Amino acid sequence: MLTVTNLSYTYPEEHQPSLKDISFTVAGGECVCFNGHSGCGKTTLLLALKGLLAEENLEGTIKYGGAPMNREEILAAVGLVFQNAESQLLCSTVFDEVAFGPENICIPPAEIYQRIVESLTAVDLLEFGNRNVERFSAGQKQRLCIASVLSMHPRVILLDEPTSQLDGKGKSDLLKTLRLLKSQGISIIIAEHNIEPFTGIIDRYYLMAAGEITSVQDHAPEEYRYGYGTSTPVERRKRPADSSEPLVSADSVFVSYAGSANILNSVSLEIMPGELLHLYGENGCGKSTLLKTMAGAIRPDSGLLTISGRDFPKAGGLLGIVALLFQNPQRQLFEDTVQDEIAFTLKRLELPTEKIERTVEFTLTLCEVIHLKDRLPLTLSFGEQHRVALASVIAPDPKLLLLDEPFAGLDPTQRLRLLKILTRLREESNTAIVIASHDPLPDPCWADRIITMQNGEIVPPEVSPL
Amino acid sequence: MRRRMTGSDYACQYRAVDSPVHRLPAGWKMLISTALSVWILVVREPTPLFLATVSCLLYYFLARLTVRDFWRDTRYFLVQFCILISLFVYREGYPAGVWPGVRTSLQIVLFFIPGIVFLRTTQVSSMMKGLRKVVPYRILFLLFTSLRFVPFFAREMQEISMAQKLRGARLSPTEASRPVFWRDIFSCLVLPLLVRAMKTADEAALSAQARGMGSRSERTYYDVRELEAYLATHQKDGIATADPKNGEGICPARTSSGGETLTK
Repeated sequence: MLTVTNLSYTYPEEHQPSLKDISFTVAGGECVCFNGHSGCGKTTLLLALKGLLAEENLEGTIKYGGAPMNREEILAAVGLVFQNAESQLLCSTVFDEVAFGPENICIPPAEIYQRIVESLTAVDLLEFGNRNVERFSAGQKQRLCIASVLSMHPRVILLDEPTSQLDGKGKSDLLKTLRLLKSQGISIIIAEHNIEPFTGIIDRYYLMAAGEITSVQDHAPEEYRYGYGTSTPVERRKRPADSSEPLVSADSVFVSYAGSANILNSVSLEIMPGELLHLYGENGCGKSTLLKTMAGAIRPDSGLLTISGRDFPKAGGLLGIVALLFQNPQRQLFEDTVQDEIAFTLKRLELPTEKIERTVEFTLTLCEVIHLKDRLPLTLSFGEQHRVALASVIAPDPKLLLLDEPFAGLDPTQRLRLLKILTRLREESNTAIVIASHDPLPDPCWADRIITMQNGEIVPPEVSPL
Repeated sequence: MRRRMTGSDYACQYRAVDSPVHRLPAGWKMLISTALSVWILVVREPTPLFLATVSCLLYYFLARLTVRDFWRDTRYFLVQFCILISLFVYREGYPAGVWPGVRTSLQIVLFFIPGIVFLRTTQVSSMMKGLRKVVPYRILFLLFTSLRFVPFFAREMQEISMAQKLRGARLSPTEASRPVFWRDIFSCLVLPLLVRAMKTADEAALSAQARGMGSRSERTYYDVRELEAYLATHQKDGIATADPKNGEGICPARTSSGGETLTK
């Protein structure tokens, strides 16, 4: 049994503790989940349990089986799977990755072979042993991360937001693996915003706020059941204005990359001005490629594509007309202040200074970041950076806004806040908005229309799962 | 949507196929690569250069690497090909400068091909095992982990560049050639890439630390060939295919088999 008593931690150079008097127990074969808004201390708690925080700032005890563990014992007994599988995989092949941990703790090679086989069998990746991890899907990478931790024979496994990059299949494969580990007596601790996939295996829920456990319950908190239990849906919206001319018109569009089959396979769709669209589908089904094609960043191999009256537009030709927000805001933030960041595209459009100032002010207010206007964007929290990145792409008042997996890394409150901002944007500017995601929307009624994609094709509405 | 799982979309990445070159020990491959590269450097006449070219290509394709792999691995050399031939023609005139230009640029490409074959056919674990006696483990780890992240950063760079171009940054090849737009290259592309690189390095370091990297002064090394032999033997006995649903396979009694413990 893992017993944590009065655990507190303050980061160096911080005044407020990030963890305050955390106490809980997890028995072998139990699975518990820590919920809370971004910044509430979930990840810090997992790092503390794994022994990755500075000991001098850590108070309280962590015991396994009644005895406190030292760092060496924690190393093998506790396995941590981080949120980002991509940066966690350090080796090129599956075998190398799984062998990495045991090699570091001097496990003899003959035993490493046995552990590799066990771990990869558990996550159903044994047949991929010699493969380059580059070609793995997000779900396979996540399961490989678990295998690389399992090979160290942990008694406790910690998972930090394991589903943030996973689609439905990835989640169901992960759940199968966790169920198996649980049945084998391994304790599992999950920190997650989206608990829906795991409700069948979680024994207890710990709700956290400001570094403290605020409540413990044995049923799933409604707020964290992504897309299912939204208690405060986004307010009702006006219907889009009628228009005979579609903003986007795609007819039999094909797109392929070198060395692969068609990514988009005869895609035909129309998007009307002011329409709210949810583009739904599993990872790799072609959602992102479709968004990039509509943004003019990818040219179709064949078919007809018209955006706002322009045939086969190039990215530069759509500046101020189409905006694309990528999943990770850090990819597009670089200016010294938030207001400079938002003014960047406006300056490139050579608008008058007065208009730029007015637009920046309006956009900052719309995206609820006016109080951050003089801050350095890269020092903001993830949620704040996300809103600044959104503000920077909507500032030129585009007719079409495309968002690629915009909810990844956001907590339930931030997700709803984003939907509210987008609704206001449609009401103010009649912007057509397309959200591409592998999950249902936090407010299932938000979109005017849902389009499901599968294998590069648009699925007819009558067979769509949503 | 169907893609081969054996390789990577990027140059010089390990390709997981079985070939005579893949089966060669890392030390032998290194020896062959060095010998071929030296040979290529010393030849001057067309016939020996032709023979060296054929040998290099044979070595490359003997490793079951494809023409597409070859294109990925060598396409950037085309730039130096054009530059060098132009420079030679400029210096020595046409047609006198053509052959020296072709020869020198071909030698440069061919010089790197044996090394590329080494990277394409040798798993990192084998390289590290082979090199550990001459280079400290931590440095090898840093070097080979960096190689692993080359495709990751290539993808990041493409995505950042696309995101910034859509916001109006001047990053197209034509624009990038004009000094007036170089500020965009630094602030819109290099800066976000550096931020991503630092964050990724932090996460990778934490992942390595969490899996015991640096916790001991010694480590063991597994051997991929021995592992394959182990798999072949045990799959026959049905151990590797044990059904995890029956509780087999995760935490069996630990073996006490001996093995190779090596100093870093």
